[in-house]
Amino acid sequence: MINWNAELAKRLSCGEDERRGLGPLIRRFIDLARKARKEGFLSLEAEAAQTEDPLLKVGLRLVAEGVSGDDLEDILATYLLANDEKGWPFLRSCVTVEGLVSLAAGDENPILIRKLVAYYGADRALSLLQELEGQAS
Amino acid sequence: MIRAITEAVWDEIARPAGVSRQKKDAIFELACRVSAIAERSRASGGVSVAKDAADERRKLLRFGLELLVEGADATQIDFAFRHSPITLELDAGTKLELAAVRAGLIAMVEGKHPAFVLRRMTAFLGPEYFEKANDWLLERTKKRKRRSQSLLVPGDLPDLVRSLALDPRSLERTIRSAGRALSVAALAGCAQESVDLVAGFYGPIGAAAFEDDADFQRGKLSGDEIGQAQNAFAEVVKNLEAEGELELGPEDEFASDPAFIHELTRAVMALDERTLRTVFKEGDSRILALAMQGLEPRAHERILGLLGNRISHRLLDAVDDAAILPRRDVLLAGKTLAEAVLANAALRKSEPNEALTSFERVRDWAVSAPLPAP
Repeated sequence: MINWNAELAKRLSCGEDERRGLGPLIRRFIDLARKARKEGFLSLEAEAAQTEDPLLKVGLRLVAEGVSGDDLEDILATYLLANDEKGWPFLRSCVTVEGLVSLAAGDENPILIRKLVAYYGADRALSLLQELEGQAS
Repeated sequence: MIRAITEAVWDEIARPAGVSRQKKDAIFELACRVSAIAERSRASGGVSVAKDAADERRKLLRFGLELLVEGADATQIDFAFRHSPITLELDAGTKLELAAVRAGLIAMVEGKHPAFVLRRMTAFLGPEYFEKANDWLLERTKKRKRRSQSLLVPGDLPDLVRSLALDPRSLERTIRSAGRALSVAALAGCAQESVDLVAGFYGPIGAAAFEDDADFQRGKLSGDEIGQAQNAFAEVVKNLEAEGELELGPEDEFASDPAFIHELTRAVMALDERTLRTVFKEGDSRILALAMQGLEPRAHERILGLLGNRISHRLLDAVDDAAILPRRDVLLAGKTLAEAVLANAALRKSEPNEALTSFERVRDWAVSAPLPAP
């Protein structure tokens, strides 16, 4: 069960234009999952070297190292919370952490997508889900 | 939604912003120390913590270690760090130190790997300390010693792991689906070969952590518990196979060919020192390391005894880096070694002898020959 609270809701709140940035981020995770499945999880280290986002960079290195599940969640959440973000940067970081944990678990793309589109809001998640599943298949 | 985020107590979160570089460096050193304490604690069954607590000068860490000595669990440590007078009215730097120490000690009491303890603690310092932690862990990994195995649970898992490893992605997919904890518990009852096949997916730090965890669980879990984990692991394989996610290869692909190993070993043992030294000095370390998978230990000893320290280390590094190969690849590497020896002998116009005849048999060995029936 989600232990929702006002502070979390406030921090996740951001504009519609910013929220559209979730689509490309989720597509990135679909590509990463595909690459890991095809070339192995160690290939994510090369992806980490090319990424600018420090949280994604560290997360990909940890996933390649074999950290997963609650352990990965605890480490990445510490990075995220220590950064004190609000609005779109916070939402993007939450999706990044969720995507990395799902990637590390070896989730199939339909599962990965469903976990991540939830951040888009119930009203828009369905259309994004259909769009992404079309691209992923 | 990520549990650790939904459960966060927002006004208690310790953040590195505003904390001096000097203080963050000190916390990093402290994290390294806690990781080393965790390593000693796992090796000694917790006995070493009392001495580490007595030797510790930092008040917060000593307080936490003393709690561990008294037998505190994760919840009690968490509570004590949140409510003890020692932790009240703190400046930002000490608050960050407290959060890191609390997280590290909780990870330690939960039996987490020392590498995780360090990763968990240094996360409080931000991503810029990730690389520094990586360097420290790599150094520790280089110095670490492999342990011998004592408990092996009889069963089909090693064969299953071998057949999955024919397509490395299948084995990796299974490990990810089973989860790390179940995979470690299942493989804790297998011979080193199975652990090596899996550890190869993780890079040096992750591989060492996986091996250590398998070894740690081997000492902690009963034979029945390991057997249950192996059954659960086999169930994951069955489900993935039923879903069309895996295709299992023939089981004997990784089994060695005893006749080939015997012939290659005999050839190496009979070869004159000069030729053997030349071939191993001038040859491709990687190929030679692969060929060594087709040799008995006495041949390893002879080869390493003839080479200088530098070349021996280069070869041993290549042996450590080499994956466990299917039988066919070991045969091919052995044949390459035989060709190099025979080419060297031809160049020196050596007289035919027992060693060269043996190497000719290795060179002409049929790669596709089936294994003799046991």
